[in-house]
Amino acid sequence: MNTKDKLKTSSENTWCPGCPNHMVLESVKQTISKFIDSKKFKQEDFVITTDIGCNSKIFDYLNLSGIYCLHGRAIPTAIGIKLGNPNLKVLAFAGDGAVYAEGISHFIHAFKYNSDMTLILHDNQSFSLTTGQPTPTSQQGYVSKASPLGVFDKPMNPLKVALASGATFIARTSARDIPHMVEVFTKAVNHKGFSFVEVIQDCLAFNLDSNNRDSQMYKVKDNEDKKVAEKLASEFDYNSKDGKIPIGVIYQVKESTLEEKWPQLKDLLDKKVGWVAK
Amino acid sequence: MRLNIVIGGKAGQGINKVSEIVSNVLANYGYFTFNYRDYQSLVRGGHNFNVISISDSLIESHDVTADVLVALDELTIKIHKQSLRKNGVMVSADQFKDEGRNLNVALAGVLVKVLGVPLSELENEIKSQFKKYNEAIVSARKGFDFQESIYNLKKLNSKPSILSGSEAVAIGARNAGLDLYISYPMTPATNTMNELAENQVENKLMVFQSENEIAAANMALGASFSGAKVMTGTSGGGFDLMGEALSFQGISEIPLTVYLASRPGPGTGVPTYTSQSDLDIALRAGHGEFPRVVIAPGNPIETIEKTFEALYLAEKFRTLSIVLSDKHLAESEFSSVEVLSEVSKFQVMRKIPGKEIVKASSYEIDEFGNSTESGVLTEKNANARVEKYKRAKKFIEENFEMIKVHGKKSSKNLVIGWGSTSGAIKDSIKDFDAKFLQVLYMKPLSSQIKREMDKADKIILVECNVTGQLGRLIREKTGIKIENRILKYDGRPFCSDELKKKIEGLL
Repeated sequence: MNTKDKLKTSSENTWCPGCPNHMVLESVKQTISKFIDSKKFKQEDFVITTDIGCNSKIFDYLNLSGIYCLHGRAIPTAIGIKLGNPNLKVLAFAGDGAVYAEGISHFIHAFKYNSDMTLILHDNQSFSLTTGQPTPTSQQGYVSKASPLGVFDKPMNPLKVALASGATFIARTSARDIPHMVEVFTKAVNHKGFSFVEVIQDCLAFNLDSNNRDSQMYKVKDNEDKKVAEKLASEFDYNSKDGKIPIGVIYQVKESTLEEKWPQLKDLLDKKVGWVAK
Repeated sequence: MRLNIVIGGKAGQGINKVSEIVSNVLANYGYFTFNYRDYQSLVRGGHNFNVISISDSLIESHDVTADVLVALDELTIKIHKQSLRKNGVMVSADQFKDEGRNLNVALAGVLVKVLGVPLSELENEIKSQFKKYNEAIVSARKGFDFQESIYNLKKLNSKPSILSGSEAVAIGARNAGLDLYISYPMTPATNTMNELAENQVENKLMVFQSENEIAAANMALGASFSGAKVMTGTSGGGFDLMGEALSFQGISEIPLTVYLASRPGPGTGVPTYTSQSDLDIALRAGHGEFPRVVIAPGNPIETIEKTFEALYLAEKFRTLSIVLSDKHLAESEFSSVEVLSEVSKFQVMRKIPGKEIVKASSYEIDEFGNSTESGVLTEKNANARVEKYKRAKKFIEENFEMIKVHGKKSSKNLVIGWGSTSGAIKDSIKDFDAKFLQVLYMKPLSSQIKREMDKADKIILVECNVTGQLGRLIREKTGIKIENRILKYDGRPFCSDELKKKIEGLL
């Protein structure tokens, strides 16, 4: 059996036919398979946390350890997993509603802690599993059953929030581009610290106006300059149909991780054990 | 023999230091003390006071009536003069204002002299506390020489040690091999966090302060999942925020222990005072139906034991364990000669990630740990949770002390209470034909409670809340309504002299 097949589960896939989540799943499998095949990590070393929302159904489709968390709490639960055993490779999957609305406090603090883990943030600018209510990144004027008058507020720019919060890794990718996702996910997992990857994703059922952004996207070179990062983060405002959307590694810097800063965790890292074997 | 000393002043004037020094001197001299701390939610100023109750035998409460009043400011005299007994001793700090930072030592000197304890006892205590003690000893002597001796305490052979409920939670958790304490500060739970944080590296554990209680509870679950022994702690408001995570524990079956130190609500209430009004949320918080254990110790020794049991049960039954305390138990200093038997640390008893593939979920799950919406599995999982609770209950009944009966065992007068109120009840019924049934396990509730109630002619419920929450719980489980209720809900704990009068009135 090849490694990718070992990552399969027997659960029935309930995503809509054609949903970009299928492509994200494929990209995650390819990324993790590469790590396992290169003997860098074992399948058992990976732990995922997922939120609540269509994207988070990935929990059932990956044969990996993990916690299917409460809504908005995939990040703190993931950080908890790292506190319990800093040697685990942790990836959190969550949507724009979960992280930017319900769990925004955790998002901001995650950059401050800089735990060595990865957040894959699926942004389709709507709460799709609950039939299309607006999220903090929905564009102005977005009409849904819950917002018949249209969204009045300007959308949040999470990349700017991340930069202001002290992020050490910010990347953006497109759910339509498997090779690019694999490249970015791999860099994110390799980053020492909290890596935040925003996946720009279409939803085929809700907020159709925010779909089809391919022509706006362009690839950037890996960037380590904060000023450049600020400029790149400002290019896409989540609101207008025009303007450029930079994809790739928007910003990366090396700083001490939560696991290196705490002597207790550093000790577990050095010994390659969790508390259970301390 | 029993004496009560009130020491009052502004926050920041050092009244806790006076109490600490005097309590330590008395413990070394063989006496039992109970130190009640009454303070306001401010950092400097206001009016704070401590009551040190002293006895030659075990006491776990203080009295309203004071024998000695030590006033560090005018306001203390104004407020406490009325509770000073006739011919009681009043000491004003005014006489010692030149002592500066050694004022509290001078006042300790006064108190030691009042009690008739030799100065050398105080000098020894000062030497053990201060690196540079010469000035302090001069101040202590000034206080000692200034005062007349009133009592004549003889040295006793007991060697009580002093412990607060907050320290006891930390000791119990360390005994269980706690790895992580993840919490957000909230009075009166914070002192346990501080206690565990001190020397955390040497003690091979870690205290992590999260961004809020929601994060604390979810991080705790994450850390427990990856194999750590974990505890979180908070007061009522923070516990409310944890509610959803507690429910998540119920379905995911990731072991979790929560220390709930309550204070008067609703809302922010009276944040630095005490209350037993959170029994209801301890028993019911979290949506859906799932097992849990709620344990309410009454003093620090019980707190050490019960915190260990909570962590053990959480691990063994992959359940939610709640240690229910309150400000009065957490922050009062008790003295005891009880020696706890050694406990052996236990191992984590489940699969953990890193070694194999393990899944936990907030959804109902199938045999692989993946989500299901099957009616058959939903029902099966619910039944499994009920069965698990039955197993836990049976185990607790066979292994742990769920109730205690104090006082005259043959008496037909039965007082029922729990938690921090137990101390005042025990002390107030000493001279009565009465026994006290102390409930330690609130869930599961012992079936012995009904048997004790059936034997009694008169039952009196004593609680620090307005609706009689234990009384309602007992009624739910036994069908018996307790008519005689002594309830206190002004944020202050029962004093034994005041409770004695109330119980006497009902007997």
